[in-house]
Amino acid sequence: MAVVELQKLVKDYAGFRAIHGVDLRIDDGEFCVFVGPSGCGKSTLLRMIAGLEEISDGELRIDGRRVNEERAAERGLAMVFQSYALYPHMTVRENLAFGLENIKTPKDEIRRRVDEAARMLQIGDYMERRPKQLSGGQRQRVAIGRAVVREPKVFLFDEPLSNLDAELRVVMRGEISQLHRRLGNTMIYVTHDQVEAMTMADKIVVLKLGTIQQVGSPLDLYNRPANQFVAGFIGSPRMNFFEATVAEQARGGIVATDEGGRRVEAAVSPERVEPGAPVTLGVRPEHLEIGSERGHPVTVETIEQLGGESYLYCRDSNGRPITVHKSGQTRIRAGEEAKVFLPAEAIHVFREDGSALERLRIGEEA
Amino acid sequence: MFKPLTQAVQLGYRTAFNLFEWPMAGAQRLVGISRVAWLFLLPNLLIFGLFTFLPIILNFFYATTGSDAILLSQRPYVGAENFSSLLSCTDYLDPNSCRRDVFWRAVYNTGWFVVLQVGFMIAFSLVTALILNRDIPLKGFFRGVFFYPVLLSPVVVALIWKWILQRYGIFNAGLEDLGLAPVDWLIDAHWAFFWIIFVSIWAHMGFYTLILLAGLQAIPSDVYEAAEMDGASRFRVFSKITMPLLMPTMVVVVVLSLIRAVQAFDEIFVLTGGGPGSATTLILQYIYETGFASRPQLFGLAAAASILMAVVLLVLTLLQLRATRSQAEG
Ligand SMILES: Nc1ncnc2c1ncn2[C@@H]1O[C@H](COP(=O)(O)OP(=O)(O)OP(=O)(O)O)[C@@H](O)[C@H]1O
Ligand SMILES: [Mg+2]
Repeated sequence: MAVVELQKLVKDYAGFRAIHGVDLRIDDGEFCVFVGPSGCGKSTLLRMIAGLEEISDGELRIDGRRVNEERAAERGLAMVFQSYALYPHMTVRENLAFGLENIKTPKDEIRRRVDEAARMLQIGDYMERRPKQLSGGQRQRVAIGRAVVREPKVFLFDEPLSNLDAELRVVMRGEISQLHRRLGNTMIYVTHDQVEAMTMADKIVVLKLGTIQQVGSPLDLYNRPANQFVAGFIGSPRMNFFEATVAEQARGGIVATDEGGRRVEAAVSPERVEPGAPVTLGVRPEHLEIGSERGHPVTVETIEQLGGESYLYCRDSNGRPITVHKSGQTRIRAGEEAKVFLPAEAIHVFREDGSALERLRIGEEA
Repeated sequence: MFKPLTQAVQLGYRTAFNLFEWPMAGAQRLVGISRVAWLFLLPNLLIFGLFTFLPIILNFFYATTGSDAILLSQRPYVGAENFSSLLSCTDYLDPNSCRRDVFWRAVYNTGWFVVLQVGFMIAFSLVTALILNRDIPLKGFFRGVFFYPVLLSPVVVALIWKWILQRYGIFNAGLEDLGLAPVDWLIDAHWAFFWIIFVSIWAHMGFYTLILLAGLQAIPSDVYEAAEMDGASRFRVFSKITMPLLMPTMVVVVVLSLIRAVQAFDEIFVLTGGGPGSATTLILQYIYETGFASRPQLFGLAAAASILMAVVLLVLTLLQLRATRSQAEG
């Protein structure tokens, strides 16, 4: 139905470049998520695609056709806003019908499509109410319904769930994914919540300061983050980082010495580093092994026991915080000393410029 | 170093509190704690009673008594005679058939004035507000320009325009420069009526423009973005989004300006004096002239006319209260 291509897209606000030449291809039927910290330009990029924000430079193509100059409505897109942006003086039915009336759709056709969307989104019971008389979740459904009835080529979502409470967010997340499976449209979804990104996306685009950091599937980004920023951004709790120096290049990886002079083996490609180069080691909390005989000595400060899993918040001798995620329960008590081991195949190594060395063995894929 | 200072301040506070305390405590003992509130309200009640409430009652007494005596004790009771005198016409559409023909002329003038002045003023205010709401250059400057006349005293407004429009005013001087014949702008009855409407629109539209502008800016911008995504034409955005969402503000503006137009007096009085003849005499001027400027002074008639006018204003005010309340409730 629709391929969206961004070619060297630039957005300049008066004296400020918000988007720095973004190249991206979003395939037909793909669920693409833009993720990144606040102010990185996710909304700006989405609004440029939508036609709500002018494109300063570069080209936007939908199905191969340049649409830079086309008005928002002509691009065949529909958008769901963070604030819902429902028409406050119209009933739910009128809200849904408005877009179709604009293009002079026949009355019975409007009725059919509106009723169908209402059934799909389970909003049929309050079609005659106004937005003010609906709960947040119901409003969000209406906003999605308003996009659905237009039968757009591409759906755009700008943080549609951020105004909902945690429980409802999980429900709506599922429903949007289901909507995507059912309709099969290309969808572009903006969020700063990496859990949403991981659970919904076919393809994640990580943005920072108006540039793309990495594009890939959720597990790609989790297993092979291209740089330290992506590594720190994807995954919760955050990846632990340690400063170290490369000691030697070995077969099957490198050996580094950490600040305490301990040797750490890492299964990464030794090609792009020399011995003596400063590097940052990264290990996800779920890959650290705690309680063994070897590894870094740490002090356990706080423990969260959830029954099925445990989080241990520790500090090493340099005062660096280290988070350990352990499945199941633990006998370790807060205040105790313990040792934390970094398994070679779980270690990410980042050069001084932040870029990652290629990992050679990835446990998760086994 | 600090201690003596703190002590001095404390002493000052204590003295001040004591000073206030004994009259307070005395008052409480005298009237009871729960009635002290009335004590505080008393000055305000007195002023309100003396200058607002009492005159309303007096007005009622004047309206039901006759003669040109100013002391109520010397005025004979006449019942509803003042009212029936005002309201007696053989044909209500023809002021000449009425016993008080000037009153009815003033009523008709006021009616036309209200309809035309409010109608055109709101149309102009709306267009101006819509333009000022867009991203135009010098936006702040233009907003100031339209609001500026509101700050002028009505008398100043009238004097400025009189200076422009009078027989040897600058407008006619300009016309003569262009080789055109001068016009008696304020002496011709139709032109005079046109100009009182024009001048009062000029003087007041800035105020209503500002209210409408505030109403426009209260419409969230994401609604417009949604409409843009929905492919609404500019006309449909205006008729289906802007106007309905501006309606509550609009109702308030209409009622407020209606009330104001019914009460119009000062700038017209200065500009035309109600003339030529009674062509621009409005109801408030009739009341003023009947009660104070004419000999004999017909206080009773003027009071009766002001009660009739008050009824009209009361209806409008109730409308306004309802409008503002429903706006507050959304
Ligand atoms: N109209 C504007 N004028 C100038 N700068 C702007 C404008 N809109 C956005 N920006 C800037 O562009 C950058 C990107 O903004 P954007 O709204 O796209 O961020 P975001 O990634 O959506 O953040 P958030 O997660 O907080 O919504 C920010 O630095 C912001 O200050
Ligand atoms: Mg945003």
